Amino acid sequence: MRTKPRFRSLAPFMVFALTMSTAIAIGMARPGFPQVKRVDYSAQQFEEGSRLFHARCGYCHLAGGTGTIMLGRRLGKDRALLESRSDLTSEYVKKITRVGLNSMPPHTRIEVPDSELDLIAAFITRPASARAQLPPDGAAHE
Amino acid sequence: MALVLPPNVSEKNFQKALDAFAGVVGRQWVLSTEEDRNTYMDIYAPGDGDDHTPSAAVGPQSAEEVQAIVRIANQYKVPLWPISRGKNLGYGAAAPRMNGTVVLDLGRMKRILDVNERFGYCLIEPGVGFFDLFAYLQEHKIPLWMSVPANAWGSVVGNALERGYGYTPYGENTRNICGMEIVLPNGELVRTGTGAMSNSPCWQLFKYGFGPSWDQVFVQSNFGVVTKLGMWLMPEPEATLGLNIQLPNPDDVGWAVDELAPLRLNGVIQQSPSIGNSLRTAAVQSQRSQWYQGEGAMPDDVLREVLNKFNLGWWGISLRLYGYDDVNEAHAKIIKAAFAKHTQKEFEVVKWHRGDPIANSGAGVPSATALQIINWRGGRGGHLGFSPILPPTSEHVLKQFHSTKKRYEEIGVDYYGSFTLFERYTTNINMMIYDRDDTAMTTKVRSLFKVLVADAAKEGYSEYRTHLSDMDDVALTFDFNNHALLRLNETVKDALDPNGILAPGKQGIWPKAFRGVRA
Repeated sequence: MRTKPRFRSLAPFMVFALTMSTAIAIGMARPGFPQVKRVDYSAQQFEEGSRLFHARCGYCHLAGGTGTIMLGRRLGKDRALLESRSDLTSEYVKKITRVGLNSMPPHTRIEVPDSELDLIAAFITRPASARAQLPPDGAAHE
Repeated sequence: MALVLPPNVSEKNFQKALDAFAGVVGRQWVLSTEEDRNTYMDIYAPGDGDDHTPSAAVGPQSAEEVQAIVRIANQYKVPLWPISRGKNLGYGAAAPRMNGTVVLDLGRMKRILDVNERFGYCLIEPGVGFFDLFAYLQEHKIPLWMSVPANAWGSVVGNALERGYGYTPYGENTRNICGMEIVLPNGELVRTGTGAMSNSPCWQLFKYGFGPSWDQVFVQSNFGVVTKLGMWLMPEPEATLGLNIQLPNPDDVGWAVDELAPLRLNGVIQQSPSIGNSLRTAAVQSQRSQWYQGEGAMPDDVLREVLNKFNLGWWGISLRLYGYDDVNEAHAKIIKAAFAKHTQKEFEVVKWHRGDPIANSGAGVPSATALQIINWRGGRGGHLGFSPILPPTSEHVLKQFHSTKKRYEEIGVDYYGSFTLFERYTTNINMMIYDRDDTAMTTKVRSLFKVLVADAAKEGYSEYRTHLSDMDDVALTFDFNNHALLRLNETVKDALDPNGILAPGKQGIWPKAFRGVRA
């Protein structure tokens, strides 16, 4: 018997994240909604974000990892590999890292410091122009 | 989770302690928001885990910073719970035993200080993960092999200090410890073994030093904070030969143990063969709801259907021979002949030679894929491990297996067990997998755990390691002479740590200041 909602701490945030992503998509700030501060990252920062993603998140989120297996089951194979996704926002990536989701546990600010998480989230949500510059499988770091 | 202060500490003094910690490590490494506290909860707790709530965390970067933090903790009587990387999964993860304890997170101390290829050892800090050390050895092309547990997300030091296991001939990880540096509860820095000489070239070569040998006193204990640890690593062998076999019947585990145990003792087999029920393979490759949605434990006939689908037996056995090719072949012949007395089934043979890709070598290659098992029930998954130690004979193993499986079925949890054979004992690890938010299920699991501890104690079997919530129960099963060992531990605890600031309640050892908290 399930006695409480599973994602009670996350539910309000998901609405927030969707709102943010819409605000970004239509390129405007709406009254009453949080302003999204746009940050431009350099190619070097995306590369550092990629390196950190492999080092901190790669345990589960590379091909064959447990996070990839679970995302594949839940969302389909084309959305299983995080570094190939283009539908995530930076805020969503950062929040899930800190609060967890399903079997993914939350990560402390010592395991993944805020400064590193900023770069990881920037890498995951990098624009299409930056995607072309990086090998999709992160081979540059192996 | 709302802030829970340590016992007998005012909010004002707690805040003063945090400010003083920040003076040592910098404000950004004192983590005290609600979100921070939640990240240090037991991530696999059956339920919310709110019996083990930290009040904050502090992250030093050096032994000197650990010394300063320990001294401040004494000043304000604020208890600390040291963790290496906080991945003690199934046993409490990063969470403290006692509510309100501040987590001392050593994850920033991640230096690999020395790797010695000639003598096969490393000297490392607690924040070094299995993946980190593996990457270092690969990058520097050092032909030394690590012993790595099934889930390798954690710390090399933390795992050895909790007596974790790997699968190579160096698989009993605590046995590889050679020399430590420790911050004592009063802030003093000590080195053990020959490290107690300021110029010894043998700190990581000779374990014992002169007089009492202290390394194991700081294993699974709350007598000090280990800040450096020497660890023996295995020289890469010329070849390995893996033997895998599936056995069809539940009782096959009996004869398999009787055949393997003498070969493990006489050295034909030098690593620890693992005999696991095949649910563990099924749980990595599928979810329970694909097979069965009913209440209670999955029935045997459904399990048989799962095993047939994946072409598994009731038990899967994996073992591996390490060394020279000719010797491995000769030993494999002996093992095959022993099994041929009982079964027509043949071993699958996996051979590796130096220079082949490391993936199939039997070296400790870190992976976190084993974490997949917690998705067996879906939802926010977690597991607990019940892990008694038994003599490696069919008599003990079959009796324990049947009584444990019966308890699982009575209470309605899917049986998931394995026996790993060492020279003179077997570790019987039993997993309970659950959805953390399903209260009915987690209640069942908690009651199953308590029953299993009591059953094992009646047979005289101890756990080798246990979850935070059961440390007191397990400590009390060591009952010789009215718990003389616990009294010894607590006498030492009070002498070394009069304010009781280090890990109160760890392994059932309570300092005078917090003895009233004991369950």
